[in-house]
Amino acid sequence: MELHPAGVTVEHLDMEFVARGRRQKVLEDIDLQIAPGEFFVIVGPSGCGKTTFLRILQGLAKPTGGRASIGGRTVTGPGIDRGFVFQNDALYPWRTVTRNVVFGLELQGKKKGEAAARAQAMIELVGLKGFESHYPHELSGGMRQRVNLARALAIEPAILLMDEPFAALDALTRESMQRELLRIAAVAGTTIVFITHQIDEAILLGDRVAVFSPRPGRLREIIAVDLPRPRQADVKQSAAFQHYVGRIGQLIGQA
Amino acid sequence: MAKVKDSILTRAAAKLAPISQETALEQDRPVTLLAPSTDADAAERPGFALRWRAWRRPLTTLVILLVGWELIGRYVLTNPLFFAPLSQVALSAIELWRTGELQTHIWVSFSELVEGVAVAIIFGVAAGVGIGISQRTREYVEVYITALYATPLVAVTPLLILWLGIGVVSKAAVVFLTAVFPILINTASGVRATDAQLIEVAQSFCATRRQIITKVMLPASVPFMLTGIRLGIGRGIVGVVVGELFGARAGLGYLIFTAGQTFDVPALFVGILTLAIMGVGLTLAAELVERRALRWRRPVSMD
Repeated sequence: MELHPAGVTVEHLDMEFVARGRRQKVLEDIDLQIAPGEFFVIVGPSGCGKTTFLRILQGLAKPTGGRASIGGRTVTGPGIDRGFVFQNDALYPWRTVTRNVVFGLELQGKKKGEAAARAQAMIELVGLKGFESHYPHELSGGMRQRVNLARALAIEPAILLMDEPFAALDALTRESMQRELLRIAAVAGTTIVFITHQIDEAILLGDRVAVFSPRPGRLREIIAVDLPRPRQADVKQSAAFQHYVGRIGQLIGQA
Repeated sequence: MAKVKDSILTRAAAKLAPISQETALEQDRPVTLLAPSTDADAAERPGFALRWRAWRRPLTTLVILLVGWELIGRYVLTNPLFFAPLSQVALSAIELWRTGELQTHIWVSFSELVEGVAVAIIFGVAAGVGIGISQRTREYVEVYITALYATPLVAVTPLLILWLGIGVVSKAAVVFLTAVFPILINTASGVRATDAQLIEVAQSFCATRRQIITKVMLPASVPFMLTGIRLGIGRGIVGVVVGELFGARAGLGYLIFTAGQTFDVPALFVGILTLAIMGVGLTLAAELVERRALRWRRPVSMD
C-alpha cells in the first residue's frame, strides 16, 4: 500500500454539550500534536470525552472551541483522507464481506474492477480470504471487526481513527486482534489514533499514550512508550512494560 | 417435545455444518453453512422425506375437512338452497372450466389484483421513503395517512365504479386504495428505523444525502417493505371481491354474486374456493420472494 500518512495538530480544543438544559463540558483545552505515521493511543476512564475527541477528528462532531487539523487542513467535516473504525463493527448486514469493504470506494465512484481488486487486497491483509461472500451474521465478532478495519483501510486513508475497536471482544480474540493490528499497522504505514480504556492495550500498541482525565476531559500527560518494535505479546512480561503500566495507572487514578 | 428426533428442524439442523461462530476466527479455511453432501443417494431421499414430514399434518387436516364437507352435504345439510357436498362443487368447477367461464373470472380478478398491487407498490414505496426521510412531510400528512389506513376504503367502491366504470380499472383502483397504505406506512417505518450508526458510517465515508438514502435507508427498509407488500396483497384480495360484488361484468366476486342470486350454491363455493387458493398461492409467492431477498438476515428462532 502506498500511503501518505498525515499528522494531526489540535489546538485549544473545547467541547460542550447541552443535555436536559444543562451545559456540560466534555473536553477542555486539549493541545497535542501527532506525527505522520505515528501510532497514537488515547487512554482514559469512560466519560472522559475520548470518543468525542475522535469524532471531532473525523468531522462527525463540531468542537465548540479551538481547532483540529489533519495534514495541515482544518477539519470541517468528514473527509476521504480519514478512515474510521467504529466501536461496534457497524457493518451493513445486507452486504457481503466484499461488498462491505468496497463500500467507501463505491461512494467515491471508483471503477468496479479497481475497487474490487483493492477490496480483495484489504480482505487478504486482514486475514479473511475465503470469507468474501459471507454475510456479517455468519461471522464471529473478531472477524466482523476485521471487516470493519478492512473497510476503513480500503479508502487508503492518511489517518486511521479507531474507537475502542476491541472493547466488545473476548480476551483471547482481543489479544489476537492486537497482534493483527500491529502487523497491519506495520504494513499500512498510516497514522493511527486509537482509543481504549485498557492500559496494557495502550502500551502494547502505542508509540505514545495520552492519558485523559474524566469530566471534563483534559490531557493529563503524554507518555512516549520506548519499547522496541515489532512487539510481541510477551513484551507484557518485561519490567519496562510493567513500569509503564504502573505509571499510566497512577495518572488515571489521580483525582 | 420428547420426539425431538422427528422434528424437521432437527433434521434441517443436522444438515448444517458446524458454523463455529467463535472458533472460525483462527481458521483460514472458508466456513460453509451447508455441508456438501457426500452421498448423492442419501441426499435425495431425506429431502423428500423432509418435505413429506412438513406437509403430512396439514394435509391430514385437509383430507378430514374435505371428507367432512362431503358427508355434511350428503346427510346433514341436504337442502340444495343452503349447501352443496364437495362432489357437486367439483362437478360445477369442471363444468365452469369446460365452458371457459372459470378461467375468465380468474383472469379478470387476477389482473385487477396484480395491476392494483403493482401501482400500490410503486407509489407506496416512493411515498413511504419520502415520508420516512422528511420530518416536515411527516408533519403535513402523517395523521391523515393513519386515518385513511384505518378507514375501510372499500366503502368508496361505488364512487370509484361511478367514476371509472364497471370494468377492470375501477377494481384495480379499489385494490390500489386498500393495498397502498400498509405498504406506504411500513416503508416509512423501515426508513425511520434505519440504524443511526449505519448512517453515520456512510457519513464518515463522505456519502451524499442521495447515497445515504439509496445505499443505506432503502436496503435497510426492505424487510419492512416486503411485510407491507404481503399485507397489501391480503387486503387487495378483499378489495377485488368487494369491488366485483358492487358492479362488474366478470371476476370471481361477480361469479359469487350471480351464483348467490340464482341459488347456484355449488358455483358459489367454486368462487370462494378459487379465491382461497389464489390467496394462499400469492401469499406463498410473497414469502418466497421475502426469503430470497432477505438471505442476509440472521434467522430468528426460539427453538
